[in-house]
Amino acid sequence: MSRPEATEKKGFTGFRDVRLIVHQLGYEQLAFWVNKVGAIFTVGFSVVFLVLLGASAGTSRIPYLGHIKLVQYYVAGFIAYGVMGACFNNLAINLVVRRETGLLKRLRLSPMPTWVLLAAVFLSTTITALVQVVLVLGIGRIGYGVHFPRSWPAFLIALVVGVASFVAMGVAMSTAIPNQESAGPVVSVIFFVLLFLSGLWFPLKANSGLAQFANYFPVHHLISAVFAPFEFIPGASPWAWHDNLIVAIWGAASTVVALRRFRWAPRRS
Amino acid sequence: MPTVSIKGLRKSYGSIRAVDDVSLDVEPGEVFALLGPNGAGKSTVIEILEGFLHRDGGDVEVLGVDPGNRHQQRWLRTRIGVVLQELAVEPFFTVRQVLERNAGFYPAPRPIDEVIDLVGLSEKSNARVKTLSGGQQRRLDVGLGIIGNPELLFLDEPTTGLDPAARRTTWDLIRTLSSEGTTVVLSSHYMDEVEALAKNVAVLARGQIVATGPPSSVGGRDHGQVTIRFALPEGVTTIDLPVVPTEFDGKEVEIRTDDELVVLARIVNWALERKVALPGLTVTRVTLEDIYLSLTHQDKDGSEVKP
Repeated sequence: MSRPEATEKKGFTGFRDVRLIVHQLGYEQLAFWVNKVGAIFTVGFSVVFLVLLGASAGTSRIPYLGHIKLVQYYVAGFIAYGVMGACFNNLAINLVVRRETGLLKRLRLSPMPTWVLLAAVFLSTTITALVQVVLVLGIGRIGYGVHFPRSWPAFLIALVVGVASFVAMGVAMSTAIPNQESAGPVVSVIFFVLLFLSGLWFPLKANSGLAQFANYFPVHHLISAVFAPFEFIPGASPWAWHDNLIVAIWGAASTVVALRRFRWAPRRS
Repeated sequence: MPTVSIKGLRKSYGSIRAVDDVSLDVEPGEVFALLGPNGAGKSTVIEILEGFLHRDGGDVEVLGVDPGNRHQQRWLRTRIGVVLQELAVEPFFTVRQVLERNAGFYPAPRPIDEVIDLVGLSEKSNARVKTLSGGQQRRLDVGLGIIGNPELLFLDEPTTGLDPAARRTTWDLIRTLSSEGTTVVLSSHYMDEVEALAKNVAVLARGQIVATGPPSSVGGRDHGQVTIRFALPEGVTTIDLPVVPTEFDGKEVEIRTDDELVVLARIVNWALERKVALPGLTVTRVTLEDIYLSLTHQDKDGSEVKP
C-alpha cells in the first residue's frame, strides 16, 4: 500500500460538496416529512391556531395598536411562530434526539464534512420554516383578507435574521439538554412560556410590565420585525432595525454557545 | 506496511487512564481482535483509530495517515468502514433509503443491492428501520459499515446482544469480507468469537495489553498447562500413582503438566500393568476463556479479583 498523495488528502472539489449538500438536504427533508405525525404537528400548529384565532377574533380591532384588525396581528405573529417553531423548538429537540441515539455520531464518522451536514440541516430547517410562512400568508390572504407584506425586502430581512438567529438558539438549546426524554418537555415549556409572555396570543401594550420583560427576549422582537413590513399602521416604518438587531444579538451569542458546547456523541458513553 | 500501527497510545478521562501505553500492529487483510472486559479500553482504542477521539499521546497510523489529523480525516473516512455499538438508524427510513443516503457520502460505494444481499436483508429492503428486529438492525449496521467499500472495517462488538443464529450469520459475513481482502479490526468480549474469526488478538485489561498473538497460542496457551483428570481406581492410594497429583479431593485426581505426552504415557502404562480402570479420564488444554480470565484478573462470575 502506498502513502496517499498530498493532493488526494485535500479532498473533493467544491462542486462535489454542493452536490453532497443537496443529497443530504433531500434526506433531511425526507426524515422530517416521513414522520407524518411529527410533520403535521409541527407545520399544522401555526395553521390550526391561525384558523382558530382568526375565526374567534372576527372583526375585533386592537385599540392600542393603531386600531388594526386582530387577525392582521395574528398573521404576522404566526409567521414568526412558524420560524421559531421550526428553527428553535423542532431543531433543538431533533438535535438532542439525534445526538443521544447516536445518529449524529454515525454521520460524524462518515466522510461527509461537518460543514456539509450543518448546511443541509440549516437549509432543511429553513425550508420547513418557509412552508409555514407561505401557508400562513396564504390562509391570511384567502381566509381573512389580510394583505401580503407591503415591503418584501424588509419582510425577507426579518425572515433571514430570524431563521439564522433562531437556528443558532436551537442548536445552543440542544447543548443544554442532557437526554432525549427531557428534550420535548424542556424545550416546549421554555418556548411556549416565552411565546405567551411575548405577545403571540395578544399584542403587548407598549411600556407595560410584560412588554418590558419581553423586551429582553428575542421572541417579541421577531414578532415585531415580521409585523412591521406589513405596514398595517399607516405611516409606520416597515424596517424594524432595532428588533432585528436584538434578534441578531441573541443569534450571535447563541452561536458562540453552540460552537463551544456542541457534542456529537451521546452523553451516556 | 501495517494497515494499523499503534505505538505507546495513551488516553485518559480525568484521572482514569482508559488507554495506557498500548502498542500493536494490524497487518493488511487480517482479522484482528481486541478482547477484553467492559471498560478495558477497547472502544476508546477503536474510536481513536477512527479519528473520533483525540489521543493524549503516542503514535497512530491508519492506512498510512494519522487519524487525529483533521486534514486527512475525510480521506481516511472514505476508506474505512465503522460499525458502532448501539447507535440508532433513522427509524422512519427504509433499509434501502438509509443505505442510499450513506452511499452518497462515498466516492465509490458498493452497489446497494449487493450490500443488501450480503447482509441478508433482501426481503426487508423496503421495510422501515423501526420495524426491524434487533438482529436485523445489527446487520443493517454492518451494511452501513461496508457501503463505502472500505479497505479497513472497524466492528465494535458486532454480535453483542445477538441470538446464536444471528451471531453465526454475522461471523460468516465477516469471513466473507475478510476473504475479499478487507482488513477487519473487531472488539469483543466473547472468546469463541475471537477464536472463530481472528488471526491475531490483543487482550486488553484496564487500558493495557496483557497478551497478544494468535488465539491458539495467546497467553502461552499452546504449551504447558494441560489438565489430566480421573477418578482414583478402587484399592489404590495416591502413593501408588506413578506421578504426583497436583490436586486430590479424596475421589478425583487432577494433574497439571506441560509435558502431557510423557505423563499420560506413564499413567496409562501403569493402569494397564495394574489392570485397573481410570474412570472419567479426561485431558483438557487450558481454554482461551481460562487464559482471558487469568489475564484480566476476573473469576468466572465476571467479578474482578485482585491480582
